[in-house]
Amino acid sequence: MLEGYNTIITVIALGAILAYSFHVVLMAGQLSLGQAGFASLAAYTSTLVVPAEPIAGSISPVVVGLPVGAAVGAAAAFVVGLPVLRLRGVFLAIATIAFGEMVRVVVNNAEWTNGALGLRVDKWVTFDFAWIIVAVLAYLFWRLGPSRSGRAFAAVREDELAAGSMGVDVVRTRMASFIASGAIAGVYGVLFAYFFGRLTPATFDFSLTVNGLVTAVLGGYLVFFGPVLGAGFLTAVPEVQKALGLEAGWIHPLVTGALLLAVILFLPGGLSTLFSRMRPAPRRPGPDYAPLDALDPLPDRGTPIAEVRGLAKRYGAVDAVRGVDLEIRSGEVLGIIGPNGAGKTTLVNMISGLEPPTAGEGTILGVPLGSRPHRFAQAGVSRTFQHSKLFERLTVLDNVLVGTHVVSRPTYLRRLAWLPSARRDERRALALAWAQLERVGLADRAGLRPGALSYGDRRRLEIARALAAHPTLLILDEPAAGMNHVEAAELASLIRGLADDGVTVLFIEHNVKMVLEACTRLVVLDFGAVIAEGEPREVAADPRVVEAYLGAEAADDEETEHV
Amino acid sequence: MLQQLANGVFAGSIYALFAIGFTLVFGVLRHLNLAHPAVFTAGAFVGIEVAARTAIPVWILLPVVALFGALAGVLVERIAFRPLRGRDDEHFAGLISSVALGGIVIALLQARYGTEPQSFAMDYFPDRLFEVAGVRVTLTQLVTLGLALVLMVGLAWLVSATPLGRSMRAVAENPTAAKVLGVNVGRVTAGTYALSSALGTVAGALLALNLGQAGRDLGASIELVGFAVIILGGLGSLWGAMAAGVVLGIAEALTIHLFDSTWKSMVAFALLFAVLVLRPRGLFGHVKVREV
Repeated sequence: MLEGYNTIITVIALGAILAYSFHVVLMAGQLSLGQAGFASLAAYTSTLVVPAEPIAGSISPVVVGLPVGAAVGAAAAFVVGLPVLRLRGVFLAIATIAFGEMVRVVVNNAEWTNGALGLRVDKWVTFDFAWIIVAVLAYLFWRLGPSRSGRAFAAVREDELAAGSMGVDVVRTRMASFIASGAIAGVYGVLFAYFFGRLTPATFDFSLTVNGLVTAVLGGYLVFFGPVLGAGFLTAVPEVQKALGLEAGWIHPLVTGALLLAVILFLPGGLSTLFSRMRPAPRRPGPDYAPLDALDPLPDRGTPIAEVRGLAKRYGAVDAVRGVDLEIRSGEVLGIIGPNGAGKTTLVNMISGLEPPTAGEGTILGVPLGSRPHRFAQAGVSRTFQHSKLFERLTVLDNVLVGTHVVSRPTYLRRLAWLPSARRDERRALALAWAQLERVGLADRAGLRPGALSYGDRRRLEIARALAAHPTLLILDEPAAGMNHVEAAELASLIRGLADDGVTVLFIEHNVKMVLEACTRLVVLDFGAVIAEGEPREVAADPRVVEAYLGAEAADDEETEHV
Repeated sequence: MLQQLANGVFAGSIYALFAIGFTLVFGVLRHLNLAHPAVFTAGAFVGIEVAARTAIPVWILLPVVALFGALAGVLVERIAFRPLRGRDDEHFAGLISSVALGGIVIALLQARYGTEPQSFAMDYFPDRLFEVAGVRVTLTQLVTLGLALVLMVGLAWLVSATPLGRSMRAVAENPTAAKVLGVNVGRVTAGTYALSSALGTVAGALLALNLGQAGRDLGASIELVGFAVIILGGLGSLWGAMAAGVVLGIAEALTIHLFDSTWKSMVAFALLFAVLVLRPRGLFGHVKVREV
């Protein structure tokens, strides 16, 4: 039945495979466009290394060539990734395009590639073979989506800083997506060579890159079957036109361009938005899970968990933080107050690894200052941000699930094999996340996107996400900003409840009433230095604090003064 | 040798003219407009057609082309970028929508002009050959270089000293603040695209004048070099793009002189790669560090 359409069907498969090599980097938010270079290196290497005749009489060269190509693509991506992955956005895109073009020029000029004339190989790829590869890739991405690694990819895509603070190793995740992209591009290159039987440098030029990117985005990179849809669409459109008798050379690019434009303007998630049904609202996991019992116990009350000496941060000529000594003991609720610009956020950024200190030493839960954020998170530091950093294209529940990253085990490989233990681990993470949503009162909004939440709810969601990491030390940066006094009072009681559970809380706040209600110890910063420290009410009454924080005349205790 | 250098400077002036349009839009609006090469190509074709139909001299032809370019620029912004404003994936989507629009423009060119390259009439711009200190230059090359310089200086003046330029710089710094302070952001955006595309179309017409003809791949052939120029110059930096265009033109000419023309494009990309890895802000530019 499919006779006569074999070529078209195989071309769709090849287009989908190429698009998967873009899909995997777009999933992690990386605009990497070096796939043409990886495919080219892989295709040339495998056609030159693998014997042209069937090996051992029956194994076709493409079967041997595929792993060779994938390995070459992955290795090339790793080598290129080392210097290039420090770049982001457009810079990453252009650097990788430059790599692809350099490969093309070298291949074009080298002798072992036979230059611009290219190489000839036998055609070994049939349409069923190509579709088996597509099916394998689709399976790999289908299983990746709701796994711990899949959530890490999504978190890095949405917000690298927040992902790092939730314990995701951002550098490794980006590199993993880059290497996977290289491997898939390598597979594409090999399949291309053994399908068309011909390999020239011009095959792997910039237009290939544009095609792959367009296919991946058109199909939609948030859903695992996006690349297949995109490739089917882009291959089918010219065929339909041909069937309708619209053969004029310019109509095809015009219609393709117009359709592409329409999709990108009116279907923000790509074509896959048409096919993915609304996901059912997430439901409370069964009562048979008592996930909180299985977590590691928190340190005993009063144990020192962090100690820093002479901590300082200098930006150019500005001393944001100067010579701060700080000791934190388990179970306390430590408030940090100070006028705007006093260095409060800089201080907690250094304690959570977002910024390296200029001077000073010490450890937080055993992690030396200056380490990368995910190290602190893995050790048990969890935080929220002054300007909330939520993963905007994930649901409320998925946001909190990212928070469980450091207290759950990787599930992806076990999910591929459908091991029951993977399912158990995922359900445990779900139960943990759900418990935190209930704790902050957002369980009824679990299926929404953060954009649909009120300001106060967004702040609560961030706290739930931070709590899902089962932190020893929870850092809250102005959690009550923008909350009304009822919400602030609820927050204060939530914080006290956490302290009763043994969580150490460090929080920055301008709401003095809330600080006095919630914290057990108060530190006051001004111009980057500690000017007072101790029992909250005593510190708040200290004349120096009153002067620095409220201004000399405002000593009449304004409760919710926002300086 | 000197001849090669001169050729490099002429090629570089076209690169620069192409690239400042590119970089202007990025600098002000953070859009990478991938329809720019197609608009560049359209400029060449429109220039050739208008010249053939009206026989107007070149100093009238180029303003006509620029006017067409300005209109095209406004359309590009309206169609491919404005509808995406405020979306989560604004930047990815803008790349794709401008690629799509570029494809549409090229298809329309094919519909009107067919697949064959179009040529200026042989006697349209009587070319003369000068010889200065053993270096041969054509009148077209001199006009191109002179015009490129005038346009670039003019643009720099416009950005630094006129009300429109001031609004553009305000939008580049902070669109929201600019809006609050009464800058008509929509008009500035349209103006930026109009300027950018006017420069792009004039560059296309000038390149066609130098080559005598233009094919549909005119823009695609210069697109990647354009990327290299804007990165080398520092993304968003006008003076950087101008300098980098000329530097790249010379570097390519020297490569042809020392090695072989097939290695020509290697220079641009090797330089580009090295600069991105070692000094991402570009040779001449500076990049604002995003606040946490």
